[in-house]
Amino acid sequence: MSAPVMQLKGCTVEDARKNILIHDVSLEVGENECVGIIGESGSGKTMTARAILGLLSRDLKLDAKEMTLDGEDLLAMNPRQKRDTIGKKIGFVPQNTVAYLHPLIRIRSQIADGYQKAGRGTKKEGEAKAEKLLALVGIHDPVRVMNSYPGQLSGGMRQRVNIAMALMCDPRLIIADEPTTALDCIVQKQVTELFFQLHEQYNTAILMISHNLTMLKKYCDRIVVMYAGQVVEAGTTEEVFEHPSHPYTKALMEVIPRLDQNPNVPLLEIPGYVPEKDRGRSSCLFADRCPNCRPQCREPLQINEEQTHFSRCVVQA
Amino acid sequence: MLKILGKRLLSSLAVLFVVSLITFFILKWIPGDAAQLILGTEASQESLEALRESMGLNEPWLTQYGNWLVNLFRGDWGSSYIYGESVRTLILQRLPVTFSVTIFSMLIAVPVAALIGILSALFKDSPIDVFSRSIMQLGTAIPSFWLGMIFMIVFAANLKWFPVTGYVPPSDGFLSFLHSIALPSIVLAIGELGILIRLFRSSMLTALEQDFMQSAQVKGLSRATAIVKYALRSAVIAPITVIGNQTAKLFGGTVIIETIFALPGIGRLLLTSVEQRDIELLQGIVLFITFMVVFINLITDLLVAAANPLICLETGGKD
Repeated sequence: MSAPVMQLKGCTVEDARKNILIHDVSLEVGENECVGIIGESGSGKTMTARAILGLLSRDLKLDAKEMTLDGEDLLAMNPRQKRDTIGKKIGFVPQNTVAYLHPLIRIRSQIADGYQKAGRGTKKEGEAKAEKLLALVGIHDPVRVMNSYPGQLSGGMRQRVNIAMALMCDPRLIIADEPTTALDCIVQKQVTELFFQLHEQYNTAILMISHNLTMLKKYCDRIVVMYAGQVVEAGTTEEVFEHPSHPYTKALMEVIPRLDQNPNVPLLEIPGYVPEKDRGRSSCLFADRCPNCRPQCREPLQINEEQTHFSRCVVQA
Repeated sequence: MLKILGKRLLSSLAVLFVVSLITFFILKWIPGDAAQLILGTEASQESLEALRESMGLNEPWLTQYGNWLVNLFRGDWGSSYIYGESVRTLILQRLPVTFSVTIFSMLIAVPVAALIGILSALFKDSPIDVFSRSIMQLGTAIPSFWLGMIFMIVFAANLKWFPVTGYVPPSDGFLSFLHSIALPSIVLAIGELGILIRLFRSSMLTALEQDFMQSAQVKGLSRATAIVKYALRSAVIAPITVIGNQTAKLFGGTVIIETIFALPGIGRLLLTSVEQRDIELLQGIVLFITFMVVFINLITDLLVAAANPLICLETGGKD
C-alpha cells in the first residue's frame, strides 16, 4: 500500500460523563484506495468519521495518537488551520439529511463558497466548476439546479448536489457517511455507482460508511469492521468477506439475507445488544454475544496491532 | 409575491369586516345609547326620542351598521360627543404621538435585542449569556408602569436629563421631539427586550445546530462566514414575525405609558372614550387599532415571505 492519504491511530472519544464512545480506533486510507466501514448502528462508524472531520460536538473529548491528512498532522493544528486543511482536502458526503444544504439559499450561492475560501478561483469560476460537476454527477440541467432552493429538489438530486459540492476542491479523500440512506433503491444504486465511477475516474480515495455489505463488498478495496466503538476486524475485502476471522464479522456475514433464501425460514440475527457502557475495557466487548466465547475472552486481550489482517479476537477458530 | 399579497389582502379585509361587525353590535348591545349619554339621565323622554330620531338610532341595527360602514368609507368616522369633534380628526391628531413612541421604542429594542440575543447564543453559558438571561427575566417581569415611574423620578425629576411629561411635535424641532419621547420609548423598549432577546437567542441556537453549519465547516469556511452567511439567514425569520406582532401590540397598547408620561396618544384617547362611554369614538378607535394591527401583520407577512423564499414557492408565486 502506498503512503496513506489519511491515517488515524488510537482515536478515543469520551462524552462529558467520561463514557467512552469509541475506543482506540485506528484506521487508514491509502492513496486511491476505497475503504468501507461496516458495523451495527451505535458501533461508532459515524463518530469516527466525525472525529476525523472535526465535527464532534463540543462536549465530546477527542484523544488520538495520530491523525494525519495527506501527510499533514491534524492534531498539531489549531481549529482554523484544521478547518482550512479539511476544507481543501476532504469532501464530505453526509447521510441524506434535508438541512445539509441551507434551505433558504440557492444552490448557486452555497455550492462554491468552499472553493472560493480555498483560494481556488473566483465566484464565477466556482460556479462554472459547480455546473460541470453537477453534470458529472448525472444532473441533466445544472443551471436550473444551480438556481433552485434545496427544497425544490428531490432527495436523490440533493444528494447528487452534496456529492458535487464535496468534489469542488478536488479532494484527496471523500468521506461518505451512509450516503444512500433514505434514498429509494434505484437512486441508491445510481448514487453508489456514481461514487465508484468518480473513484476510478479521479483516483480519489474514499472512506465509505455503510450498512450495505453487498455494496461495500463489490466496490471496496479494504473493509474495517467496527463493533461497540472498536475496530474488531480490518483487512482486504477478500480477507474480511471470504475468511472473516472475528466472530462478530462472521455473524454479520451470516445475517446478510440472500435472494435464494427460503422465505419460510426466519432471518438470522445476532442475539443481544451492543454494549453502551465500559467500552474502554481491554477484554473482549463481543464476549456476551459470542457463540464461541472462552474464559480468556474475559481477560485483557493480547492483540497484535501490526497484523495485516487485523482481528480483535484471541480465539483461533 | 403578488399572489401572497393578494391572498393576505383578502383575509385582512375579512378580519376588518368581522371586527367592525363585532365592535358595532357589542357596543349597541350594552345598555344606554348615544342619545342617553349626550343628554344625560335627567333628560326628558321627548327630547331623547327626538335626538334618537335625528341620530338615526331608531333604525334597525343592521341599517345603522350599514350606514356607519358607508360613512366610514366616505371618511366620516362619526363624531365624539365629549370632544364635539369628528372621530377621524381626533384619531389623526393623536396618531403621530403613538406612532413615534412605538417606532422609536422598536428602533431601540430590536438592535439591542438582536445583538444581545445572538451574542448569548454564540457564547452559550458564558457570562454574556447569563447577563442576557437576566435581562430576559427582568424585562419580562418588571411592569412598565413601575419602571416608567422610577425612570421618571430618576432621569427626569432628579437628573433632569429628560422632560418629566408632555409631547413636543416634530414641527417644534426634531431634537426636542426626540427628547420628549425618549424616556417613554426606552421604558417600552425595555418591556420588549425580554421576549425579543429570548427569540433571537433561541432561533440562533437552533440555526447553529443545523446540519448546514457542519456543511459550512467541512467546506473550510471560517466560523464568522458560517455564522453570517448561514446561521443568521435562518435565525432572522422568527424574530421578524414577533417584531411585527409586538409593534402592532404597541400601536394599541401604550395606554399605561401614555398615561404616565401624559402623552396625548391613541391609548389615552381610547381610555377616555371608554371612561366617558363615548361610543362612536370607541368604535372608531377600536376599528382603527384593528386596522393598524392588520396592516402591520400584512407588512410582517410580506417581510417574512421576502426573507423566506420557501413561502413564495409554497404558494406557487414568483419571487
